[in-house]
Amino acid sequence: MSTQATATTTAKTSSLATSAKFRTFAITFAVAGTVIYLLCLQFNWPLFTYHPAVNRVELGWGPGRSGEGPAMYWYGWTATTLVAGFVVSLLATLLPESTAKKIPLILVWLLPILAIPYLVWDLRQWWFHP
Amino acid sequence: MDLISVNTFWTIWLLVHLVLSVGLIGALTHQAVSCAMPVRQVAGPPGFVTRFRAVPAAGYATAICILWVLTFIAGSYIYTKYRIYIRIPIEQAQYWKTQGFFDFKEHVASIGLVLLPAYWYFWKNAQNPEYDTPRKVVTVYLAVACWFLFIVGHVLNNVRGFGS
Repeated sequence: MSTQATATTTAKTSSLATSAKFRTFAITFAVAGTVIYLLCLQFNWPLFTYHPAVNRVELGWGPGRSGEGPAMYWYGWTATTLVAGFVVSLLATLLPESTAKKIPLILVWLLPILAIPYLVWDLRQWWFHP
Repeated sequence: MDLISVNTFWTIWLLVHLVLSVGLIGALTHQAVSCAMPVRQVAGPPGFVTRFRAVPAAGYATAICILWVLTFIAGSYIYTKYRIYIRIPIEQAQYWKTQGFFDFKEHVASIGLVLLPAYWYFWKNAQNPEYDTPRKVVTVYLAVACWFLFIVGHVLNNVRGFGS
């Protein structure tokens, strides 16, 4: 990498780190992303369903079909989270800085911590399987 | 694909996932310990623990984000084979809690992924005291999550991994 290219990359990185819009984006993405992922789990909202045995992708939620092996939803839940989280965070950057600054920073770490007991509860079928 | 067997191909990807996760767990552990228990002025020569936490933690942030994403992608890639060749036999063997922990692992990995932009931002603004608490908690959260993901993956490999 040339010296000029290194300098350009460093400048871009540092400008991102000082950007108020990126701050809003990053904080909203953490908060909204965690909430959206848990909603995807609760209401089963995969963006797509993948059938690995037949290498088939189906838009939205699709059941596992006889002779086609299991259906995978985790890719779809993650995709829903990333796409919806990105859109919400992008919209948040349009807010005035004074409003965006009101998003409580505590949510960035509190929600992922609170997600743990929710996940334990959500997976109860495995813990208490007879 | 003809150069190597199918088993070798997927074994290589599993090892890639392992190597990336080892790099990630090392970097995150150093960083988490350095920000949770920062080094104070010590009298005399520093011991192992002091040297372990005396790392320039802010410099790890970008590498950790990249490693988390790469480990996530490698894990997602091999997950398709896990779903058919590992999970189904695990269910047949009625290892329900093992299966539950794997599902837990995938959720924790995704939640970790959405925290990365904020985590990176907090570390790039480490001089701002407003971000001290979220930076510390998010870093420790990611480190604990990474250890959890690593251990669950290791146990699953023991249950039905190489040679099975």
